[in-house]
Amino acid sequence: MKHFEYLEPGTVAEACDLLKQYGGNARVFAGGSSLTILLKQGFLQPDALINIKKIDELRRIEEAGDDLVIGALVTHHDIETSALLAQRLPVLCELEHDVANIRVRNMATVGGNIASGEPLTDLPCVFITLDATVRIANTSGGRTLPLEEVFVDYYETQLQEDEVLTHVVIPPLPAHSAIDYVRFSSSSVVDKPCIGVAVRMSVEPDGGACREVRIGLGCVAPTPMRARNAEAALEGQALNDENLQKAARAAAEECDPMDDLRGSERYKREMVAALVRRLAGKVHARARDNG
Amino acid sequence: MKKAITMEVNGASCEVEVEPWRTLLDVVREELDLTGAKLGCDIQVCGACTLLVDGKPVSACSVLAVDADGRKVTTVEGLAEGDRLHPLQESFMKFGALQCGYCTSGFLLTAKAMLDENPHPDDEQIKSYMGGSFCRCGCYQEIMQAIRNVARG
Repeated sequence: MKHFEYLEPGTVAEACDLLKQYGGNARVFAGGSSLTILLKQGFLQPDALINIKKIDELRRIEEAGDDLVIGALVTHHDIETSALLAQRLPVLCELEHDVANIRVRNMATVGGNIASGEPLTDLPCVFITLDATVRIANTSGGRTLPLEEVFVDYYETQLQEDEVLTHVVIPPLPAHSAIDYVRFSSSSVVDKPCIGVAVRMSVEPDGGACREVRIGLGCVAPTPMRARNAEAALEGQALNDENLQKAARAAAEECDPMDDLRGSERYKREMVAALVRRLAGKVHARARDNG
Repeated sequence: MKKAITMEVNGASCEVEVEPWRTLLDVVREELDLTGAKLGCDIQVCGACTLLVDGKPVSACSVLAVDADGRKVTTVEGLAEGDRLHPLQESFMKFGALQCGYCTSGFLLTAKAMLDENPHPDDEQIKSYMGGSFCRCGCYQEIMQAIRNVARG
């Protein structure tokens, strides 16, 4: 590992100041789960690590009005075992059972999961279908962005050199709605996912038309993405085999998977179609029952 | 460049000076001579380097030692109480849950953390929790028996 300074700011503002001082040559250290591997392998060679772990305010999962606010230092295991999330958004607790292994879940954080720009991951795909935003602190105060806009490319985000992602904010689900997520692994269950699909929709009590349809795809493009053409195929429509098929085909076409050891491009497109079709049907039925 | 850190290792306070780029596994093995945990994959997949930090399993190959400052670290050497082995250690011996032993320290510590969190897991819960630990000798059946034996004890 290249040698680096190790700094421990007590506040977010101090962290942003330190990041600015290093002008892009420092890295934020949260869980450190993927960062330490990249350091060991020499892919990253920063002059300093800015450890934000001692900033306790980033460690909480809490309600703010109707919103849920998840701090950047919340770990995957915290989400897995959160009583508040089990009650408000059990889909998050359930997906965490299958993320990596218990050691990674104890260490890796929500903030790092997003800020690393890692494409083969689960949470961002679900957060996007929940219309989540992120709070970002910087040396001129801060800004809020829709989570979807944070991602730019493989391992590349909108975060600037003096910025720290501090919170994920999730608005409440509308009435008569449901959400679910499928994590599909093509090899070992402890491998990174091959494909992630999240579907959220509301169902009109009269007539059963789909509303506010969100279809999130993970691992099949440089960034987690919304399958907007697939969403449009269902929006305002009653659910039937024809519409489901249209949405599934649209999702398979608008994603951009690559051939790798988890599957070929063609295989992944077919799996996206199958998973979107199944999950949309399931979520529609559940949303109707939630009426 | 070095930073003084204080950890509670297996119940005893311990102060060491470390460079910030050294891993917890490296420091525990080389500075503290606690060599039960092993370096395996070096990318948090195999579990051979597992240590408990504040009671929770982590891959010590990928934890910076400076990050363990002020925390409680448990290694396999801290499982026994004097001459009395931990029930999991007794059970691993009884069921022959190892061949070469390289992964054993990690399995024991992970199982301990699981039982501390959930004293009576069913088979599915054991498999799910232990699923990220690899035994290349393939002693999984025996490891399951050994853990089940303590969980049902």
